[in-house]
Order: sequence, then C-alpha cells, then structure tokens
Amino acid sequence: MHFTAWLESTDLSIWLRESPSLFAFPFVLIVHAWGMGFLAGSNAALDLRIIGFAPRVSLSTMERFYPVMWFGFIINAISGVLLLISYPTKALTNPVFYLKIGCIAAGMVMMVKIRDRVVRNPAFDTAAVPMNGKILAAISLFLWASAITSGRFLAYTCKYLIAGTRC
Amino acid sequence: MLKETVEAWVRWLPTTSLAVFMHGRWEWPIMESIHFLGLSLLIGAIGLFDLRLLGLGRQIPISYLHRLIPWGIAGYVINVLSGICFFTAETDQYIYNPSFQLKILSMSVAGLNVLVFYTTMFRRVRTLGPGENASMPARIIGGVSLVCWLSVIACGRLLTFFRPPSFHWCPWC
Repeated sequence: MHFTAWLESTDLSIWLRESPSLFAFPFVLIVHAWGMGFLAGSNAALDLRIIGFAPRVSLSTMERFYPVMWFGFIINAISGVLLLISYPTKALTNPVFYLKIGCIAAGMVMMVKIRDRVVRNPAFDTAAVPMNGKILAAISLFLWASAITSGRFLAYTCKYLIAGTRC
Repeated sequence: MLKETVEAWVRWLPTTSLAVFMHGRWEWPIMESIHFLGLSLLIGAIGLFDLRLLGLGRQIPISYLHRLIPWGIAGYVINVLSGICFFTAETDQYIYNPSFQLKILSMSVAGLNVLVFYTTMFRRVRTLGPGENASMPARIIGGVSLVCWLSVIACGRLLTFFRPPSFHWCPWC
C-alpha cells in the first residue's frame, strides 16, 4: 500500500483531510449527498414508474430527467474521487468500498439499459411495462439501495484510517 | 421554563428503550442507510417536481408528475421517523447543535412553502400540459423548495462538525 501512503502525503489530500475550512472535507461530503439524492432519487422515481406506480406519467417524457441523473453521477464521481484522495488507505483496504463501486457501476449500466430497452420503446409509453422491464427496474432499485447502504457502512467497517493508523 | 423542560428531555430521552436499541452494534448505520434512502426518495420525487416547475422536463404534464409526490412524502415520513431515532439516542448532540437548528429551520421554511403552494396556486398549476411553463410565482415556489431541501441535506451532513460541547447554540436559554 505504498501508493496510498504517498497519496496521503500530497498537498491536496492533506488539505482535504486537515483543513478546518468547511469548504474542504465537509463541503465535499455535502456535494456527495446532493449528487446521491439526484442520481439515486431520479433513478428510483423512474424505476417505480416502470414497476407500475404513477402509470399515467408518459415514460418517454421521463427521458428528460436523464440529464439530472448524469449531473448527479458527474458531481458524485468528482466528489467521490476527492473523498478517495482524502482517505485512500481507508477506502481501498475496505471490501465494502469495492461493493459500493460495483453497485454503482452496475446501477449505471442498468440506467442505460433501461433507457434503451424500456424508456425509448414507444410501445411502453403509456401502457404497462412487461415483466422483464419491471425486473430491470427492480434490479436497479436494489442496486441503488445497496450502493447507499454500503456507502454508509464504509464509515463503520474501516480497518485503517490512514496508512499505519487503525480506525 | 423552556430551558428546564428541554434539559429534562435531554436527560430522559437517551434513557428510553429506543435509545438503548440505537446503541447496538449495527443499529446506527442501518438507520442512517434508511435515512439516506428516504432522502433519495424525497429528492427523486419532490426535487424532480421542483425542477419541472423551474422549466426542466416541460413535456411532462404537471398533474402526471404530481403522481410521484406520494413517494416523496413516503421519503419524508421515513426520514422523520429515522430522524427521531437519532434524536432520541443522542438528544444533546442535536438539540444544541447549530447545524441541527438550521436543518429544522430549513424544514420549516420548506413546510411553509408547500402550504403556500397548495393553498394559492396548485389548482392552476396542475392544469399545465406538455410544453407549458409554470408562472413566475410557481417557479419561485419550486426554487425555494429545492434550495430548502438541499440545505436540509447540507445541514444534515454538517451535524458531525458542529457537535456539542465544542458548539453549543441555545437560543431559548
């Protein structure tokens, strides 16, 4: 883990971790929670619609909320990288971190799949979505819930805070 | 008087069985996960509705999008209940915390905003069809709602940085 020890010694990492400014670590945390709300929240709204709630909302028009999801994803990719730079050893030595990243990657794949196979299918615009579409939506819901839960558990399952220091 | 009442609650709530339950091995992170899921539901339903009022996704008729609002309300209820669990377990860490007080204030403004929306303009706004813009007052309501909920999230994330005894706000003392 020489790499993470080196990363922790960089100016950016030290500033993020140790600065008393609210614009350092606390602000990154806030942005990460905002992005989560937009990304997981809009995905949940779309998934619930596909599963059958609010059936009169036209599915094709819901594609207009994809930019909101992408916006959430981009700000969370950036804030997530900053969080990783702040505590690289802490994240990379915790299996829960890889679970979280796996859920997000799979969730993003599902988000695109659902757009191509369900949202853009004119047959489903106002009619009920068939079972295989609903299964995609249910998987997506499960993945976002798992990503959020593993994100929370990251704080409670760490082995090292920084290289050489146990949590 | 109020000061003494609050102090009595601060002493009593953490002795309840709910507080004891919250201090188990995994109860706190599980409840936090539920709180974050509720947050996402709230933003996913109410945040998208606010964005529609502000002009995004104009092709969606307001009345259709409004059918997602019950999910936002579900997220809100989930978060009030899970929030009560945290508050009960560590009452002093919240009640005197400036960030908690600002969080409650933001929630109150959001609540008033909802009240104004449904009492003064909802009947007109709900008739807006595809491509139709909301009026300026409705846009302002949408903007205020979005800012309030983003502020609630920000204050929630900042709680840990403003904990007593380092910080101690007590406007009623």
